[in-house]
Amino acid sequence: MKNIESYFVLINRIFVASLLAIVFLIVIVNVVGRYGFNYSLSWAEEAARHLMILSAFSASGLALREGRLVAITLFPDLLPTKIQLVLRWLIVITMFTFMLVMTWLGIKFVQFGWNKETMATGMSRGIPYMAIPFGCFIFLVQLAFFARRFTRFEFEFESQKTKELGAK
Amino acid sequence: MAKSLIILFFITLFLGIPVAFTMGIAGLATILSFETINPLVAVQRLFNGIDSFPLMAVPFFILASELMTACGLTAALLGFANALVGHLKGGLGHVNVLVSMLFAGISGSALADAAGPSAIVMKMMRNAGYDKYYAGALSAATATIGPIIPPSILAVIFAISTSGVTVAGLFLAGIIPGVLLGAALAITNHIVSKRAGYKGRDVRASRAELLCALYSAVPALIMPGIILGGIIFGIFTPTEAGAIASGYALILGTIKRAFTFKSIYLAFVRAAIITSSVFLIIAMASIFAWLLTYLQIPQQLASTIEGITENRIAILFILAGFALVCGFFIDTLPALIILTPILGPIAYSAGIDPLHFGMMLILNLTIGMITPPVGPVLFVIATVGQLKLEGLFKAILPLLFAEIVVLLLIILIPELSTFIPKSLGYSH
Repeated sequence: MKNIESYFVLINRIFVASLLAIVFLIVIVNVVGRYGFNYSLSWAEEAARHLMILSAFSASGLALREGRLVAITLFPDLLPTKIQLVLRWLIVITMFTFMLVMTWLGIKFVQFGWNKETMATGMSRGIPYMAIPFGCFIFLVQLAFFARRFTRFEFEFESQKTKELGAK
Repeated sequence: MAKSLIILFFITLFLGIPVAFTMGIAGLATILSFETINPLVAVQRLFNGIDSFPLMAVPFFILASELMTACGLTAALLGFANALVGHLKGGLGHVNVLVSMLFAGISGSALADAAGPSAIVMKMMRNAGYDKYYAGALSAATATIGPIIPPSILAVIFAISTSGVTVAGLFLAGIIPGVLLGAALAITNHIVSKRAGYKGRDVRASRAELLCALYSAVPALIMPGIILGGIIFGIFTPTEAGAIASGYALILGTIKRAFTFKSIYLAFVRAAIITSSVFLIIAMASIFAWLLTYLQIPQQLASTIEGITENRIAILFILAGFALVCGFFIDTLPALIILTPILGPIAYSAGIDPLHFGMMLILNLTIGMITPPVGPVLFVIATVGQLKLEGLFKAILPLLFAEIVVLLLIILIPELSTFIPKSLGYSH
């Protein structure tokens, strides 16, 4: 289980870093092309935007793991530890439910946009819209893996920070 | 309905649910309770809220500052600032202000500054015998220069949330307020240091030492020039400027042999994750902001304020006070996205220039980053420096006062924000 999780995290990280790198290249190539070769790609802006949205939603689970989804824990920290833990689990359940609904609505939204075309490339609008159910689903998987540590503030890399924040 | 939306938002916020989710949850619950609203609106807002090319300046400026730090340029800026002002009374305090101003020309975020150069100078100040709470408070205060001096992530987000301003115009509008903020903090530091007897370094840096420090810092000092120059002369858009700044840092680090494949990979991963946490807030907040507009909150607020006064400055003061109070309780980014569409139209119909209003709002909410109970910059400094929040808040009061004086100047003198962009043809 631990192994599956670390592979999932690794792939997730490579995926979002690659997306950002591709977006970066598209924008750079477009600027260089405009001045160097008097040529710009009509689809560049749209592709860059949609890939960035995909990257942003796909990295949300990683942001959760690193404790980068900032929360205000000033008031819960005044509560006894046991009640705090119950509250943290309630937060996990609330976030999970919300993202589950968003995944479902996201799929509906893809269906809704399927027969419409985007401005520049003329592909189906449903394709970029897939970023939402896809990203929300990745978040759900990451949350399922990480739930127990989330309730105990055991974040990765930026670890302890948030816990200490609350403590002071 | 508006009431239950706002109450739900605050309940989820104070229960400790991540801020991004509080707005999404409150928004979705309200949307679902209306039979007349198609729930797909929530997803549509989520997507459209971040579907903007100007907004993509955000990931690129985050990437640029990650890459700059990875290739050691932050340290070079620090060395230069130390050689330049380190010998003055309260020298390291001035170094703290100056390095934040220089770093602000690369990065557009107060949190990046707080976790980066400000945290480093804070340690130097403590080692040199400064009171640890003063060192922490000054580092938090100087970090707020980051989003005022261009490039600025908050300016990008303001520009896409309102009509009538461009990102480029707002970047230019931030130059004078940013310098004023730096000056105000330097003056405060001078007064505090005089009282507490904080000295500078014993010997003033020799000309050779200064030139040497300047030489190492030049690559970093050129960056703001590239960004601003490119935008002012219309060579590229702010988003492209961000990408070019990242490309510049990549080339620089490669020439200096400061990078490994791994450090580049990690910079991209970090930038993608930080971007995600920012974009998630923007996306969720746009559900919330859409609902407020749907429920006609801006119109109600506008008629209330117009009932009180029609004086332009008085209206600006009311808006500023409202934003300042919101800034105490709501994080800067969501506050900006929620307040811009509500307060903006009121300001514009009273004849206030969008650049002027934008600078007021950005500075205002940035000040909220160093005030409790929700002061993210203060939290970062407290964590890095292992300081108690209460002590930090006490120490930050004189600096906060200085920042509020600057805010008042920005409110009272529109030209401070509008002069540079207007003289370069960036009025709307």
